Amino acid sequence: MIPLVLYVLLASAMFTIGLYGLLTQRNGIKLMMCVEILLNSANINLVAFSAYLPNVNGQVFALFSIALAAAEAGVGFAILIVLYRLYGTIELDNINALRW
Amino acid sequence: MYQDYAYLIVGLPVLAFVLTIFLGWHLPKGGGFFTVLATFAGFILSFGIFREIYPNDEIVHQSMHWFASFNAGILIDPLAIVMLLMVTFVCTLIHTYALGYMEGDPGMARYFAEAGLFTAAMLGLVFSDNLLQLFIFWELVGLCSYLLIGFWYRKPSAASAAKKAFLVTRVGDVMFLAGIVLLYTNMVKLNLTLPDGAYLLQFQTIYDSLTLIPPDQLTWIAVLLFGGAVGKSGQFPLHVWLPDAMEGPTTVSAMIHAATMVTAGVYLVARMFPLFYAAPNALMVVAYVGAFTALFAATMGLVMFDIKRVLAYSTVSQLGYMMAGLGIGAAMGAFSVGVSMFHLIGHSFFKALLFLCAGSVIHAVGTNDMREMGGVLKHMKWTGLTMLAGSLTLAGFPLTTGFFSKDEIIVTAFEHGAMGFGWLPYIFAILAALLTAIYTFRLWFLVFDGEARSDYHKHESPWIMLGPLVILAIFALFMGMPSQENFYHYVGNNFEHYGVDFEELAVIGGHHVEHGAHAVHEPFIIKILPIIVGVGGILIAALFYSRWKRFDSGMVTSERDPLRHILLKRYYQNEIYTLWFAEKVVYGIALVSNMIDLKIIDGTVNKISAISVGFGGTLRKVQTGVIQNYLTAIVLGLAVLLILIELASMGVAI
Repeated sequence: MIPLVLYVLLASAMFTIGLYGLLTQRNGIKLMMCVEILLNSANINLVAFSAYLPNVNGQVFALFSIALAAAEAGVGFAILIVLYRLYGTIELDNINALRW
Repeated sequence: MYQDYAYLIVGLPVLAFVLTIFLGWHLPKGGGFFTVLATFAGFILSFGIFREIYPNDEIVHQSMHWFASFNAGILIDPLAIVMLLMVTFVCTLIHTYALGYMEGDPGMARYFAEAGLFTAAMLGLVFSDNLLQLFIFWELVGLCSYLLIGFWYRKPSAASAAKKAFLVTRVGDVMFLAGIVLLYTNMVKLNLTLPDGAYLLQFQTIYDSLTLIPPDQLTWIAVLLFGGAVGKSGQFPLHVWLPDAMEGPTTVSAMIHAATMVTAGVYLVARMFPLFYAAPNALMVVAYVGAFTALFAATMGLVMFDIKRVLAYSTVSQLGYMMAGLGIGAAMGAFSVGVSMFHLIGHSFFKALLFLCAGSVIHAVGTNDMREMGGVLKHMKWTGLTMLAGSLTLAGFPLTTGFFSKDEIIVTAFEHGAMGFGWLPYIFAILAALLTAIYTFRLWFLVFDGEARSDYHKHESPWIMLGPLVILAIFALFMGMPSQENFYHYVGNNFEHYGVDFEELAVIGGHHVEHGAHAVHEPFIIKILPIIVGVGGILIAALFYSRWKRFDSGMVTSERDPLRHILLKRYYQNEIYTLWFAEKVVYGIALVSNMIDLKIIDGTVNKISAISVGFGGTLRKVQTGVIQNYLTAIVLGLAVLLILIELASMGVAI
């Protein structure tokens, strides 16, 4: 069996990658992808701990989280499509109509 | 039983005001009958209360908790009940007359609403039981007079007359308020322990504490209160708004000049008479200002050609008599309150009559200018005859009400002089009486006698207007004789209900203590002199202006006569008050104040707000609106926090 610490390392690595992307990227789709990576790092943790405990609750949580992520992605991409139609770009720096 | 409903005397006109202002537009005659009925109901109630309290010489006093240390109260004593009766009675007739006079005016509903409120305010003023409540109604009266004088607000002259009335009376009102504040501070200083139900500024409390307040303070209070009365009652030098108040409908002039508003000032002085009596020199001021006003206004009444302006100056002059009547109380004591109030009541009947007659004439003829009238009697018998009744009364023709009331003031003014308080009030009063008779009959002859001097409309007014005239004429002619002595006694003893000791007050005020009303025996000539000048004045007017004309006014004065010029120019009042005082002095002060307001006061506020805006403008740059920036801050903050917690758990002292 793969030791738990490897899962946690994988999850930490993914979380850091996601956070790094979120902080540095300006493209809307890239941001959405980073958010997905963050969510999935959490999912990995949930599933891993659930398998080790053993307690099925964590896997149920992971399923909820995936469904939630799907919904969030749906809404997010819809917004990005509308933004693209309006401005012809999804570079978030250029979308600043309501800014001071 | 009626006294339990005393509050309705004011309540019903207020209700009429609410009804007419909201529903009047949809009702025939602008809902005017609400106002008429409410005022008439007030008269019935007042009369009922009078019947209840008169036989045993009682007073009605009710009060309810208002706020903090004040109550709202109703006080009906002899002084108040005669005013209540007069105001409700005369106002009922004026409102009835207005049903005919205002017919067809698009603002009828507004007129009756404001007239109802005006009546209510005056009635509330009369039966207040404390000075503060009186002041509130006093201001309400001022507001209503502003609204009514400016009733035809599209006419620039009416709008400016309303503003003038409001501003000039405001000068007096500020003094009145200052007087109240001064009185209040003095009463607070006394640390009175008040009996149950009594409170500061209640008239009873004021009367009780007069002896405790320092006399020099009393004089200041009295003079300030008198300043309020000067403004409201059109005494010199604040009389200038009264003739201009003619810009409103004639019924408004009748209301302002007869029943309400101008009598408020006299009523205030009468109500506070013990205070004036106790204050050294205060009554002297009242007597001299009043007598001077009587003469001053009468001279201007002589030369006016606008029928309403003659009556307006006559009102100012008669109010001067009333003030003088109170002022000579220095010699007569509280008896003078009766004398003055009797003239006030009589005057309100005949002056309302004269104004309503003038309104009837103007209604028919269509002009205010007496030079375009003449011979109106042929076409308007009732108006002419009722106006003759009013004129006879005003001139003090023997056995009319004006004869009893005015002559008593003149005779008491003589006694005032004989007792060594100064002869000027008497001289002014007797001269003014002569002039009164002359200008009154000059008016009557010019309007009703002779030949028509222009092509005016000739028709008598409807009966809804003539009815009140006839009733008022009967009262103006015959009220005086049967009631005079009773009235003097009833109202003159008003202050005995409060246990006011006039002899004690006289010592503070520095008056001689006189026993009995008529301590001096005036010679026979003095007694009949008022009759002589009254009748003589009528004859002089007849010789100059009637069909039996023997003289022409040109024979007395020429066009270049400086005296005539100064009278026609009304003593250059317009030049002094408006052109010099208002436009130079007040405007200059206004400019400076405006500058201070804009640069210093507004400037400070603007500077503070500019600093805030600038600071905010800088600070909002922090809120970039870029999510990543916030996120970075959150992550860094979290990281620092975690490190600190980790260090703390390792035992590192932070």
